[in-house]
Amino acid sequence: MIRRWFGWATAALAAAVLLSCAGGGEPQRPDDGGRKILRIARRTEYKTLDPAGQFDSASAEIIGNVYDTLLEYHYLKRPYQLVPNLLATMPEKQADGVTYLFTLRRGVRFIDSPAFPGGVGRELTIDDIIYSIKRFADAHVNAKSYILMQGVIVGLDEFREATRTHGKGMDYASRDVAGLRRIDDHRLEVRFTGPNPLALYPLAATPMSIVAREAVEHYGDDFGSNPVGTGPFVLVQNDRRGTVVLAKNRDYHGSYPSEGESGHREAGLLDAGGRQLPLVDEVHLPLIEESQPAMLRFRKGALDLHTVDRDNFIKMVERLDADSFRLKPPYSEYFRMSWEEALTCEYIAFNMRDPLVGKNRALRQAMAYALDVEEYIKIMLNGRGESLATIVPHPIAGSERDIDVSYYRYDPEKARAKLAEAGYPGGEGLPDIYFDFRSTTKEMRQGFEFIRYQLASVGIRAVARFLTFSAYLQRVESGNFQVGSSGWFADYPDAENFYQLLYSKNGPPGPNMSSFADAEYDRLYEESRFMENGPERFAKFKRMAEIIRDEVPVILRFNQLAFSLYQKWLRNVVGHMMNDAPYKYLDLEQPAVREEAP
Amino acid sequence: MTAYILRRLLHMIPIVFGVAVLVFVLFATVGEDPVRTALGSHATPEAIADLRSRWGLDKPLPMQFVDFVRRIATFDLGESYNSGEKLTVIFKRGALVSLSVTVPPFLVGIVLSIAVALLIAYFRGSWLDHYSTFVFVGSMSVSYLVYIITFQYVFAFRLDWFPISGYEPGLASIPYLLLPWIIIVVVSAGPDIRVLRTVFLDETRADYVRTAFAKGAGEGRVLFKHILKNAMIPVLTYWVTSVPFLILGAFLMERFFSIPGIGDTLINAVNTGDRPILMTLTVLIAIAYSLFNLLTDILYAYVDPRVKLS
Repeated sequence: MIRRWFGWATAALAAAVLLSCAGGGEPQRPDDGGRKILRIARRTEYKTLDPAGQFDSASAEIIGNVYDTLLEYHYLKRPYQLVPNLLATMPEKQADGVTYLFTLRRGVRFIDSPAFPGGVGRELTIDDIIYSIKRFADAHVNAKSYILMQGVIVGLDEFREATRTHGKGMDYASRDVAGLRRIDDHRLEVRFTGPNPLALYPLAATPMSIVAREAVEHYGDDFGSNPVGTGPFVLVQNDRRGTVVLAKNRDYHGSYPSEGESGHREAGLLDAGGRQLPLVDEVHLPLIEESQPAMLRFRKGALDLHTVDRDNFIKMVERLDADSFRLKPPYSEYFRMSWEEALTCEYIAFNMRDPLVGKNRALRQAMAYALDVEEYIKIMLNGRGESLATIVPHPIAGSERDIDVSYYRYDPEKARAKLAEAGYPGGEGLPDIYFDFRSTTKEMRQGFEFIRYQLASVGIRAVARFLTFSAYLQRVESGNFQVGSSGWFADYPDAENFYQLLYSKNGPPGPNMSSFADAEYDRLYEESRFMENGPERFAKFKRMAEIIRDEVPVILRFNQLAFSLYQKWLRNVVGHMMNDAPYKYLDLEQPAVREEAP
Repeated sequence: MTAYILRRLLHMIPIVFGVAVLVFVLFATVGEDPVRTALGSHATPEAIADLRSRWGLDKPLPMQFVDFVRRIATFDLGESYNSGEKLTVIFKRGALVSLSVTVPPFLVGIVLSIAVALLIAYFRGSWLDHYSTFVFVGSMSVSYLVYIITFQYVFAFRLDWFPISGYEPGLASIPYLLLPWIIIVVVSAGPDIRVLRTVFLDETRADYVRTAFAKGAGEGRVLFKHILKNAMIPVLTYWVTSVPFLILGAFLMERFFSIPGIGDTLINAVNTGDRPILMTLTVLIAIAYSLFNLLTDILYAYVDPRVKLS
């Protein structure tokens, strides 16, 4: 009897496994009763929904959809460009070159909230802008992102200092900011500390979202869980560890862009041109932290858009050539894919104060020749990257696409020759070189093994120190390192943000971790910093790129490519590196018809 | 009995204090700097100082330790570095969810493993004993993660018998919890049954069993009335001391099935360096473990009249 029972149990298990291998798992788009519900997984828990209190992408994903900023990045145009959002027009530069006139869009309303009299949202005024900028500068509110505006608006740093000395809860009306002058309900004059066109970029960052004073005061410490904004969506379910639900703000002021890049019209990306945003009724954002369940839910049709991680990339995507990828069958039957060049630069930084690597240019050049970046991208990133010849990522104006500059290519013979020139023929007498890494992950360790092998093949012995992030920062900022693996993600899409990484005045603890100092480079940086993009600026970039190449304070490696999969029924998908969550532009085909997924 | 319990409770104080000291010293000396982790590489010295001050990390270490102990003692546990939420809220919400993940399969597992272990002990040396040993040792040799990934793929994705992941409060959570429950029962069955089989087999060789048979007792009566009762002390130790860990949930299970329990919270705290959650939870688990050890000792006295609490 028992033997028979075990037999049946084993047979049932085997049948289940066989059944699963035979297919099944019929994908279904959820029946939403005619409503358009966009479903996208959140991969990490958000920290706070208080704009001025956050500086992480998980929080920004929600804040960017329930609040608004004065400016935003155009959804379709590249290179990335700022366009008005809460402002009616772009800020107008005044005759003195440092003052800008901000004119607010009329008729924009905060969502209904108990924070307002009668629970009805009121119209946005210039007082909200001034209040939000002051609150952004409050040291007791914003401990993370003030650097975006540090030294930018006249009097704002002093205001921040005043909040620090006053203590929590300062009445902002009691202290003016010299650089903010209210003209009327819809106009504001902002005086910057210098002629700095880059100062406008922070106005598109989510920490600079516009909030209502009444809401901040009404919710107090719970303001971070009760957003009251003017954004395209309203938070209707706030389950931090579960599903966050955003509903369409029917009074939203924005509309879908009518202009884009070439090919956008043919691709249907301009079909919604001029329509009021957002295009979907709701956005559901379940928290799914692990890769497998997220991908399985995507393949079931229960998610509309999903990023592709390394493991799934290998399985689902093939690289056709340097700039072209496609989904492998059968995935290509069911899904669409988009990819975008990330605004990142990965590099290996030398400590120029180090008596060994910092004082021996030929040694640094030998290492640059010894590292095969293309092979690294192919093997370690499965092709999800592009090698860099300048410190500026490809999509940003002033990158190698705009200037003609050569860079080191893998050449072990030249590496050996340079090593001999450095005084270490065949690596003889060369001490071990220590590489510091900013994490202890498997990927970091594998990446180092690749580097170690290539350097060893020309006679350079590399030793790794895998550190916690804070320990890494402490080492780097104190100049207590030899070689560091590093990278930079654009704060704003301008080449200046990358060239400043080697400006001598930005030395440790600033972003110039190499402590690189070159008088010509500094002069060119200062001259080019606030110039408009064009041949004159690019000529200076070219010379700066040559200095970086010749002096090798860093070995440039690659900028990564970001991949997304989306369902066939999803519309208007465009990779956007300055807006992680452009949900207001996305649309869903209706009704949805799905075929069987692989 | 009361005096014994009071004495044991007093003994717990230095144990918990020792754990608190150890945890504090470890985090203060070798852990991540939470301020630098939170602020990243853009941070200015002013921003670092501001946040350090806000989190009380600018105070001398002894003062920070006093604050930590005071928070534990008063159950005003403070706030998460990451979210700013009160820890009491996080723990209460997460513990209930974790218990809903772990308690049902724990109880089912107890009944199931006792029944199967008794059955195997009854048929000791037979093909069933050998077959089950092979199956259970084999099942114990497979990683927990493999069960999760395989079951999720086969039964949720391919066969569509369960949701792939997710959670809803209340009874609506049951469909989401079924597959995790099954996995927990399957994973724990191997070790549980192997331990119990050994315990039961040890008892079958005891003198009182031979005596019971000599007096004419049937196999069933000997098995359920005599052997089961006498095997309770190791069985109690085995299960009661694992109760505190039920509150912690099943880390991987919660992670892979998007269940917002304490286990998932703990993993996130490790990943993000949320020191208040990590430190407080460690000490609370030490307290719970000590309490359940005490409970185990008290239960001994009930199941075995030979044990006297003194």
